[in-house]
Amino acid sequence: MTQLDQCPSTMKGEKHKPGKADLAAVPRDVSADLARSAGTVNGQAAWRSVDELADDAGFRDFLEREFPAGASELRLAEEADGADAASGGGATRRDFLRVMGASIALAGAATVPGCRRPNHTIMTYSRVVPEEIIPGKPLYYATSMPRPDGGAEGLLVETHEGRPTKLEGNPLHPVSAGKISSWALSSILGLYDPDRLKFPTYANPTRGRIEATWDDFRTWAGGNLSAFATNGGAGLAFVVDKRQSPAWRAVTARLRARFPNAAWVPYGPGECAASIEGTRLAFGRSMREVPTITKEGTRVVLSLDREFLSREPGELPNQRNFAATRLVLGPSDSMSRLYCVESGFSLTGGQADHRLRLAPSRVAAFAVALAGYLLPKLGAPDAGGLFGALGATMPEGNAARRFMQECADDLLAPENRGKSLILAGESQPPAVHALVAAMNAALGNIGVSVVYHPLSEDEAADSLAGLGRLAAAMRAGEVDTLVCVGTNPVYDAPGDLDFAELFAAVPRTITLSVDRNETEAASTWSLNAAHYLESWGDTEAIDGTVAPVQPMIAPLYEPALSELEFLAMLAEPDPTASVDGFALVGVAWRAAYPDTSASGGFDRTWRRALHDGVVPGTARRPEAPTVDQGAVARAIGAMRLPEAPSADRLEACFVVGNVGDGRYANIPWLQELPEVGTRTVWDNPALLSPATAKALGLEPAGYSEGDPSAIYTKPKYPQARLATITIDGRTVTAPVWILPGMADWTVQLTLGYGRTVAGRVGDGVGVNVYPLRGSAMGGTNRAAWGATVARAEGSYMIASTQNHWSMEGRTSIVRAVDLPAFQRHGAEVQVVMDHFYGTRANINFAERLGELGHTPPTKSIYDNPFNRSDADPDPANVDEGNRDYRGNPTPPAYTQRPQWGMTIDQTTCTGCGVCTIACYSENNIPVVGKKEVAKGREMSWIRVDRYFTGDVHDPASMLHQPVACVHCENAPCETVCPVNATVHGPDGLNYMTYNRCIGTRYCANNCPYKVRRFNFFDYGVAKFNGDYLGHDLIDKVGAFIPGQEGITGSGAHNTINPNLIPPRLREKIDEISKMQKNPDVTVRSRGVMEKCSYCIQRINAAKVECKLADIKGPDGRTIVPDGFFTTACAQACPSGAISFGDILDEASEVFNRRSNARSYALLGYLNTRPRTTHMVRVMNPNPKLVDAARRHSWDDPFHHAPAAHGDGHEEGGAGHADDDHGGGVGKDREAPGGDAGHGPASFRYDRRKLIEDRGYAGSLRVLSAPGGAAT
Amino acid sequence: MTTIHPDQLTAQRLAGVIPSRLPDRPLDPVTGDGTLIDDPAVRAPLVLGGHSFGEVTDIICGYTENKPPRWWLPVFLLSANVAGLGGLFILYLVITGIGTWGLSNQVDWAWDITNFVFWIGIGHAGTLISAILCLLKQKWRTSINRSAEAMTIFAVICAATFPGIHIGRQWMAWMLFPIPNYNAIWPNFRSPLLWDVFAVSTYGTVSLLFWFMGMIPDFATLRDRADRRLRANPQGGPSVLPFVPVRADRLRALIYGFLSLGWRFSGRHWHRYEAAYLILAGISTPLVLSVHSIVSFDFATSILPGWHTTIFPPYFVAGAIFGGFAMVLMLLIPARELYPHMKDFITLRHLENMSKVILTTGMIVGFAYSMEFFIAWYGGNVYELFAFENRAFGPYWWAYWTMISCNVISPQLFWFRRCRTSPVIIFLVSLAVTIGMWFERFVIIVTSLHRAFLPSEWHMFHPSLVDIAIFVGSCGVFLMLFCLFLRFLPVFAMAELKAVMPQASPHAHGHDHAHPSRASVVGAHGDRRGDAPGDPNGHPAPPPPTGGH
Repeated sequence: MTQLDQCPSTMKGEKHKPGKADLAAVPRDVSADLARSAGTVNGQAAWRSVDELADDAGFRDFLEREFPAGASELRLAEEADGADAASGGGATRRDFLRVMGASIALAGAATVPGCRRPNHTIMTYSRVVPEEIIPGKPLYYATSMPRPDGGAEGLLVETHEGRPTKLEGNPLHPVSAGKISSWALSSILGLYDPDRLKFPTYANPTRGRIEATWDDFRTWAGGNLSAFATNGGAGLAFVVDKRQSPAWRAVTARLRARFPNAAWVPYGPGECAASIEGTRLAFGRSMREVPTITKEGTRVVLSLDREFLSREPGELPNQRNFAATRLVLGPSDSMSRLYCVESGFSLTGGQADHRLRLAPSRVAAFAVALAGYLLPKLGAPDAGGLFGALGATMPEGNAARRFMQECADDLLAPENRGKSLILAGESQPPAVHALVAAMNAALGNIGVSVVYHPLSEDEAADSLAGLGRLAAAMRAGEVDTLVCVGTNPVYDAPGDLDFAELFAAVPRTITLSVDRNETEAASTWSLNAAHYLESWGDTEAIDGTVAPVQPMIAPLYEPALSELEFLAMLAEPDPTASVDGFALVGVAWRAAYPDTSASGGFDRTWRRALHDGVVPGTARRPEAPTVDQGAVARAIGAMRLPEAPSADRLEACFVVGNVGDGRYANIPWLQELPEVGTRTVWDNPALLSPATAKALGLEPAGYSEGDPSAIYTKPKYPQARLATITIDGRTVTAPVWILPGMADWTVQLTLGYGRTVAGRVGDGVGVNVYPLRGSAMGGTNRAAWGATVARAEGSYMIASTQNHWSMEGRTSIVRAVDLPAFQRHGAEVQVVMDHFYGTRANINFAERLGELGHTPPTKSIYDNPFNRSDADPDPANVDEGNRDYRGNPTPPAYTQRPQWGMTIDQTTCTGCGVCTIACYSENNIPVVGKKEVAKGREMSWIRVDRYFTGDVHDPASMLHQPVACVHCENAPCETVCPVNATVHGPDGLNYMTYNRCIGTRYCANNCPYKVRRFNFFDYGVAKFNGDYLGHDLIDKVGAFIPGQEGITGSGAHNTINPNLIPPRLREKIDEISKMQKNPDVTVRSRGVMEKCSYCIQRINAAKVECKLADIKGPDGRTIVPDGFFTTACAQACPSGAISFGDILDEASEVFNRRSNARSYALLGYLNTRPRTTHMVRVMNPNPKLVDAARRHSWDDPFHHAPAAHGDGHEEGGAGHADDDHGGGVGKDREAPGGDAGHGPASFRYDRRKLIEDRGYAGSLRVLSAPGGAAT
Repeated sequence: MTTIHPDQLTAQRLAGVIPSRLPDRPLDPVTGDGTLIDDPAVRAPLVLGGHSFGEVTDIICGYTENKPPRWWLPVFLLSANVAGLGGLFILYLVITGIGTWGLSNQVDWAWDITNFVFWIGIGHAGTLISAILCLLKQKWRTSINRSAEAMTIFAVICAATFPGIHIGRQWMAWMLFPIPNYNAIWPNFRSPLLWDVFAVSTYGTVSLLFWFMGMIPDFATLRDRADRRLRANPQGGPSVLPFVPVRADRLRALIYGFLSLGWRFSGRHWHRYEAAYLILAGISTPLVLSVHSIVSFDFATSILPGWHTTIFPPYFVAGAIFGGFAMVLMLLIPARELYPHMKDFITLRHLENMSKVILTTGMIVGFAYSMEFFIAWYGGNVYELFAFENRAFGPYWWAYWTMISCNVISPQLFWFRRCRTSPVIIFLVSLAVTIGMWFERFVIIVTSLHRAFLPSEWHMFHPSLVDIAIFVGSCGVFLMLFCLFLRFLPVFAMAELKAVMPQASPHAHGHDHAHPSRASVVGAHGDRRGDAPGDPNGHPAPPPPTGGH
C-alpha cells in the first residue's frame, strides 16, 4: 500500500506507536497476547501488516480514509447536500477538491501546508507546492480559541512549513481586534506540551493501567455504553467544559437527545456564576453582562471588586475600550475616571483613580449603601420596595462613606448621567449584581456602556451547583458511567463534595483530555484529545460572533479526537463509526447559515469565514432588558451580610491567576509570568495585608514595616511563613505573603495551583485551594466568610521577579500627574539654555517632570566618531535647524529611513503582562524555573515593573512600567563590550550578536535599565525539568540539604536545581517542544547575553516584503509603512499602550506619541537617548476626593507633585524662569490632539487591500488599524 | 673587568663555592636588630649578621640546595591541594555554566571581578618595589624585591585566571585578543575590558621579564655551585625522588644552567645587565600607574553610580600599592621567621619602611573613600548619593564597614613605632588590609550593581559554593607558587644584596649601587660609623663575584 498521498507529517515517525518515554510513563502491559486474551480490550494494533488486517473493520476504515484520497468527504457532501440540491447534483469529491483548492489559492486556508487530517489530504506537500509556499516564510491562518471561562478569541496562527509557532490576535475578529490574551498566547505550549496524553490508557481491574488504542475504546464503548441506548442514559453523566458554538450546540443536542436521562453538567470551575445569577434576579433570565465602554459613552466607571481588565471573557474588549477612554494625547482630551472598591489589589485597582480597599462583604455593604444614596436621588420610582430594602447597611468608617458619597455624586453629575458604568465583581453575591444592574438602569447606562446578551442553558448553568447535584447522585450510587470532557473535577471540585472519592467509586469513568490531569489519571479510560489547533470546530465569542476553529497541524499524537468529535462519537449509535470534526462543523453551519443570494452561497460564506476567521454578521444584537426592581428588592432583603471580618473570622476571596483555573498549570510561560501586585512566580501564596499578616504573626521572615522589601534582602531565598487556612472545617496549609493594599482581615487565594498530575512543569507548584471552596457559598463561588488563618510550622520559599516595592522617591522613573495639571501645563515647552556651552533644549511637559528640567542639556564637546552614524543626530541640532552650537551647519539628522522607535503609554498600560508572554513566544525565550528566578535570572526581554506609592498599608497607587531594551542611541552597553558583540545599526537598533558574544556581562552591568538577560545555564537547550544522569541519587542526597523546603516550580526536582548538573548529563529539549521555536530567531546557547531586539526578524522580513511589494515613499525610496508590521509586544498589548514604528514617518503613531507632551526618556538625563520612550501616566482624580496639597500641585506639578507621584520632587532646579510658552520648533509637534495617526500623512497605503490582494501570506503581522486600536 | 682578588679563599667564598661560618646575632633591645637607628647621622645597615659575601651566598643558595624546612612540605601540599580543588571547581564552572556562581541579571559581576582586581592589586607592590624604588635608589628594596616580584607574577597568574573564566563562553576567550580572523571582526577598542587585556598582559610580560632577568646571575651562581659539587662528586648527590635515577645536582646544573642563559659573570654581562635592568625599571614604572588605572577604568568609564568616578585611577593605584605591600609583608614575615638567617636580610627596618608605605597609601585610600561621599553629596545626583548611602547603610553595610575598619582604621596603628616594628602586629595589620582590600573591591562592585537606577531591578547577591571555592583555590595557587619559589629559586638578589652590604661600599661616597668600580675597590674604609657591622675580615668590598679569569 502506498502512502504517497498521505500527509508527510502523518507518515513521519510512528504515530500509532508510543515512544519510549511514553511507555515509561505508563506501565507497559499491553501486547498482542493481552489484546487477544482480554475481552474488553481489543488490541487491534494499527501497525500490523496488511494481511493481518485484511478484512476487519479497522482495515476498512483505513482504506476508506486513505484510498482513494478524499473519498470520505463524499459523506460530508452527501449530508450537506440535503439542503443544497440545487447546486448541481450535490457536491462530489471533485467539488471538494475544487473548494479546497480554491481556499488554498485564494485564502491560504485549511489545507495549504498539507498537514490536515489524513482524510482531507489531497495533494502532497512535496508534489504540488502551492505558489504561496516559500520555505522559510511563515503563513498565517485564522482560527479561534474557546476561552476557558466562556466566550472565545479570534486568532491568527503563524505557521512555518505547516508547523504552528505563534498565536496572534485576529484583527478581523470583533472581540480580539488583533489583540490576544496571555492564555491564548501560551496555548501553543499546550499543543507542544511534551507531557500531553499521547494515547488512550485503560485501567484494567486486574492488570492496572495499561496502554490501549482508540479502537479498543470504541469497541469497549460499543459494549459498555449500549445499555444506555435503551434507558435513555440513566446512570450516565457528563461533565463537560463550558462551550458554546453552533457545532457544539448541534452535537450536544444530538447527544442529549440520545441520552435524555443522562446527567449533563457544563462545568467551569473559574466561572463567575454570581453575575449570571444576578442577571436572572434583575431581569428574570440569565444573561451575560458585557461592558461596552466607549470614549464618548463612559466617563465614570465604578468597579465593585470587579477585575474587568483581566481574566474574564471580555478582557480584551474591556482593556481596549477602557484604554480608549484613558488616552490623553493633548491637554484638551477628556479622560474617564475609575473608582475601584476591591479586596485585593488587582490590575483594575492599579488603574483606578480612586481606590478603596474593603473586604468582600464590606464591598457588598458599600454597594447597598451606594444604591441607597444614589437611587432616590435619581428620581427613580421606588418600585418593589427597593429603597426600603436598602440603607440597612453602610460601609464602616468616614473614609468609605465619603468615598461612596463623592463617587455617587460624580455618577450623578449631569455631564456623567448615562455615561457611567458600575460593575460588580466575582466576589459579590448575586443580589449585589442585581442591584448594580438596577443602578446601571437608573443611571441610564444599560444599552450605552453595558449591554446584556442572552445565555444558553448550558452557559447559564451554575457549575458548582451542577457538580454538587452530580456528586449527590454519585453518592447515591446513581451514576454508572461518568464522562469528563475537557474538565478536571477530581482536582478542582469544591472541597465539601469529596469528589475524588466519589469519582473513584464510579464503576466506569471516561475522561477525554489534551493534557495530563488528575481526573484522567483516576479514570477507567483516559483518552487523548486533539488540541484545538489540531481539530475542526467553531467558537462563539461573548457578543455571539462565530468563528471557525481550523486545524493547523495534524494531531501530533494520532489518533486523537477533539472534544466535539468525541461527543459526536458518543452521540452515534455505533461508537466505532468514524467521526469528523470537519463534517460536524459543516453540517452545523449549513443549518445555521442558510444560503442566501446576499451571502453568495454557503461555499463563499465558508471560504470567507475560514479566511477571515470570523463569520460575518453573527454578532448578536445586544439587549437592554428592564430591571425588575421588586425582585432586586427581595434579593437585597434576603441577602445576609456577615459582621465585619476580624482576626478570627477572616474573609477569603478566590481569584483566578496566571494559570487560569488550573488547566494551564503545565505551561511554563504562565508559571513564570509574575502575578499582579506581588510579582511572585511559580506559586500562589495566600495574600494578606501587611497589617493583618503582622497581627496574625504571619509576616514573612525579615519583614519590617518601614522597609517591606527587607524580606528580599535578609535571607538568600525569601521565606514565607506557612499558615493553615480553614473555611467551614476544610483546611489547607499554604504559604502566606503580603500584598500592600489588600483589605484587612481578608485573605486572597489563587485558584489553579497545587496540581499533582499535570506534567513536568505543573506538578507540585503551589497549593491547591479548591478544597477550601464549598459548592454553595452564599451565591458566589469566589468569596467565603468566616475563614481562620493560623500559623503553621515551617517556612516556604517565595520567588519574585521584583524584590523592591517602592520607587524610593525616584519619581522621575514612572512619572505621573493628575489630569488637571496636564491640562494646564501640557502644552508648555520650556527652553533650557546653557550659556556656557551654548546648548539649548526645548523640554516638553514630561521632561520637565524629571531631571532634565533641572539640568542644562547634555552636549559633548567632542564629536564622537561613533555618534556620527546616520542613526544618531545630535540632539541639539534637532531643534536648532541643523546648526551646531557654534552656529555651523551640520549634516541633516537621520539621513536614512527607517529609524525604529517605540513608545509605551503608562496611562493605558494595565500591567497585564501579555507583552511578556508574546515576547517569550516570538523570541524563543526560555523559562528558568523558580529557583533561578529567585536568584534574579529570569529571561523575559520585556518586563513590567510594579511600584507602589504611598503608605505600605494603603498604597496610593500601583504603577506599572513595561521596560525592555530601549535601544539607546548612546548605548552604554555598546562601548564596553570588548568583542563588539553589541553594536549599533544604521536604523537605530542596538544589535546583539550572539555568535560574537563571549559573555563578559559588562554590557548588563553598564545598562542603566537592566534589561539585558544572560544565559547563565543552557536554558534554551536543556529540557526544562528534564531528567539527568544520577538524578535519583542526587535527589536523595539533596533531600538532606537544609533550606530546601518549599521550593516548588521545578516539579520532581524540588531539592537540586537541575541546572547545576553538567549539560552533558542532562536531557536535551525534546523534539516536540522544539517545534514551537520560531525558526527566525536563534535559540541562544549558554554564556551569551540577550535582550530585546525590537523583533529584528520581523523588521527584516518587513523590509524584504516592502521591497518586493515595491512600496515607496514620496521620495521614491522603499519604506515600510506604519502599521505594516509591529513588534510582538505591541501587537499583543490589549490596551494598545505600546507603539512601534518609524520615528521619521510623521504619519506614524510612534512619531506622534514620541513628539507628544507626555513622552519622556526613561533616565534620559544619562544622555543615553533611548529609542523607546515612556509616556507620563495621567490620573483623573475627583477633585473633591483629593486633599488641598494635591489640588495645589495641579498649578505647579513640577515642584509639587501629587500624592500618586510618590514622594514628589525634592526641589526645583534652574531654568524655570525662562519658560517658553509656545516658542520653539517643537511647538507644532506638542499638541497633536486626539488625532494621532491622522496627521499630515506623507504616504498612505491600504493594508486591507494588501491583505485582500495577497492573502495573509503576503502580509506580516497586522495591526487592527493605523494608529493602533486605542486611537 | 679583570679584577681578581688576591685572596683565593675569599674569592671562592665570594663565589659561594666554599661554605662558611654562619654566626647568630642577638636582638638589641633599643635598636631592634640594629637597623632601627634613630640617629639621622647613622646609616642603618641593610644586611645584618656580619656575613661575608660567601656566607650570604651560602645562606641564599642553601634555601634551595639544602633539605627544605620541616614545615615546607605540609604547607606546599596543603596549598597545592587547595589549588587543585579550586581547579576542579573551575572545571565544573566551565562545564556547567556561570550560573553556578551566585550572579544574577542585576549583579553580573561579583566575586569574579572582585578577585581579579584584588589579585591585580596585590601584584602592584612587586613592580613598585622593583621599578620605582629602584629608580629612586631606595637601597632597602634589594632584599625584598625578588620575593615581591615573584609575588607579582603569581598574583598576576591568579588575576589573569578570573577574566578568563568569568566569561560565559570560556572557550571563546581568544576573541578578547586582536587576532586576525576570517571574518575580520576586531575587538572593540573602546572597551575598558579590552584595555585590561592589553594592560594586564603587558604588565605580566614586563614583570616576568624583570623578575627573570634579575635572577639570571643568581641562576648562574646556583649552576656553578652545582657544577662544583658535581666535579667533587660525580654521582651528583642524592636522587631527586626515590626510584628516580636523576641526581639533584645534575638536575640543578641542567635547569639552572639553562635558565642562566650562559651567564659568565663577565663585566660585559654585568654592564648590559645593569643597563637592561634600568631600562626595564623605566618601562615598569609607568606600568605601576597604568595597570591599575586601566583596571579602574572598567568601573570609571561606566555610567553606574558608584563606579562612574574620576577619582578611581589614583585611588585604585594607591589601593593596589597598599594591598600589595600588605601581601608582601604577609608572606615575608612568616618566611623570615621560618628560614634561617632571613632576618639578616629582611630586617625590622624593612618591615618598618613597608609599614610606612601602608600607612601612607592607607590614608590615601581613606581620603578617597571620604571624597567619594563628598562628591556624591556635592554633585546633587540622587542616584549617586544613594549609591554611597547604600554602601554604608544598605544591606551590605557589613562589607563596607569591614572595609573601612580594615583599610582606614587598622593601618593607623602604624603611627606608633612599636607597632611598625613588631612583626606580629604588622602581620595582623597586613592581614586586615588584605581582607579590607578584597572587601573594597567587593563593595565597589556589588553594592553599586545590586541597587542601581531602577528599584525594580534591585537584587541581592549571595555567593555560591563555587564562588568561594574558586577564590580559595586562587589563594591556594598563590601560596603554592610562593612555596615553590622559596624552595627552588633564589629568594634574594644575591649580587644586589651584596652591593648594599658594607663591604661593597668601603669609602665615604656612599655609592648607591652595587656597581663596583676600580676606584671603589681601591678605596679605603669609608663611612663606617656607629655600630654598623663590618666585614669581620676587614676586606674591601670586591666586585660581584665573577666566574671567569
